[in-house]
Amino acid sequence: MKNKRNMILFELRNITGNPYVHLFGIAMPILMSYIVIRAACAEAADPETIAVISTSVFLGMGTIIPLAIALMGYAATRAQEMEKGIPERLELFGISSRTTLHNRIAAELIFILAVFILYFIYGCLFLTIKAPALSGITIYTACMLALTVIFLCIAHGIATFLKKFGPTYCLVMIFYFAIMLFSGMMGLSYDSMPTGVQTIAKLLPTTYITNDIYTIWTGERYRYAGMLQSFLLWAAAAGILFVASGSRRHMAENR
Amino acid sequence: MLLTIQNLKVCYGSETALTIDRPIVIEKGDRIGVIGSNGAGKTTLVRSILGLVNYKGTIRTDLSPEQMAAHMQFNEYTDSMPVKYIMEAILATRISQNPKLKELISYLEFEPCLKKKYSRLSGGQKQRFTIILVMMQDAPLTFYDEVTSGLDFETRQKLVEKLAGWYRDKSAGLCIVSHYYDELEQLADKLLILDKGKVVDYGRTKELFHKYCGRAVIILDRCAEHEELTAGYRRLASPAHLIALSCDNEDVEKELAGLLLSRNINYKRSNQDIEILYINAKKRESEENNEK
Repeated sequence: MKNKRNMILFELRNITGNPYVHLFGIAMPILMSYIVIRAACAEAADPETIAVISTSVFLGMGTIIPLAIALMGYAATRAQEMEKGIPERLELFGISSRTTLHNRIAAELIFILAVFILYFIYGCLFLTIKAPALSGITIYTACMLALTVIFLCIAHGIATFLKKFGPTYCLVMIFYFAIMLFSGMMGLSYDSMPTGVQTIAKLLPTTYITNDIYTIWTGERYRYAGMLQSFLLWAAAAGILFVASGSRRHMAENR
Repeated sequence: MLLTIQNLKVCYGSETALTIDRPIVIEKGDRIGVIGSNGAGKTTLVRSILGLVNYKGTIRTDLSPEQMAAHMQFNEYTDSMPVKYIMEAILATRISQNPKLKELISYLEFEPCLKKKYSRLSGGQKQRFTIILVMMQDAPLTFYDEVTSGLDFETRQKLVEKLAGWYRDKSAGLCIVSHYYDELEQLADKLLILDKGKVVDYGRTKELFHKYCGRAVIILDRCAEHEELTAGYRRLASPAHLIALSCDNEDVEKELAGLLLSRNINYKRSNQDIEILYINAKKRESEENNEK
């Protein structure tokens, strides 16, 4: 038990030692939400409107946290480790890859929780955020948790397949900005997108969070079918990638 | 018996990297030096025993993977934190609460490095870091694969002295892969000679020396005068700049030493010179293969 705690602490240090995580996972959502809210509320005089915009943008930008930490940060760390042969080195010390993976996932979840707490402290101190309905905060938490797990699986799969930091980082950066762009986090809202792009955007769970989270947050009636389908689609894709990367590694070891 | 290797064959794609036909037995407390040129199969052998590569044949041992420690040629760690934390995580302990670890860190003079990140360590410090982790495992069988490669002469010598000192009174088995003969003379009492993926010979260094070199060898610089003077004595294969003469008995050795002393010629006498042993074992193997 003590060793488990040690290893999770080790993985937490590993995560926080990655500078990209601080830049893209902590500074970016804070900065982006601040800039977008300032711009969007510039001409709004009604406090209610300001609160609606602030809450909507703030919660939507929260998606960047799992995106940057679980997808980009994890993939970068994992690819670097694969490239250097660190998992094999740890196995020689009796720390199996499975154990490392479990500890890493636990550490990622703890770290993302801590960043969300920090993000919400910032939101409450500097922005006007509407109080959530119980169902709203529960669903938002579930969405972020699901996104984290999906992104971790994708990151693990990509890094395990590519094994090199350069190509892995390049690919996840493309994912990172593409998801932000198609989800309407980069200034171009879903409604302003061309129909073809909207079709792609509708496949992303992050699009629903960015656009509809206010409705969910405040407990208003919402049709979850589209959001659920996109989550299921990404969960399936992430699951397949994760399992396939495990099989590939196993095959490589037995070659 | 710690480990037995029988009919081992390791292939990388279509290329056979290592074939071991005759049984290799590693006994408890053996100090085995694995020697051979690049591509001889030394690292492949270590990786096979550690289960890191697929192989055909049998490697029989009662040891669990955790009871085998290994310092590989390339050892890398995360660079996101000081090495102190890596050490504590891998060993599942706190340095401040572990007297044995503290002693080892002190023995290997690693205290000033604990707060550094791995990439900031010098080559020798990186090696010592892994050595500490490996030694702390206290395994019945430990592998050191080219532990000093890439280090300068002084650092290399110091490190080998530390290793030899640490294991001197311990019963742990060691398997040391090295290109440096002097290291093996200090650390090993058995030799496994590999060449082009095959075993040339395996046994106690003294017995192998006797088999290939005789009772002792006398080594002197190669020059026309020395060639002429020692023409009547049995020559062994040697590096191009040296003459190696076999002394099969004490009388020959005394006679030869007397001759060299009378001419004031510098020479070296050895009954465990691994370099001469290795060259002659390889030569005899090659001759036997040619005869076949």
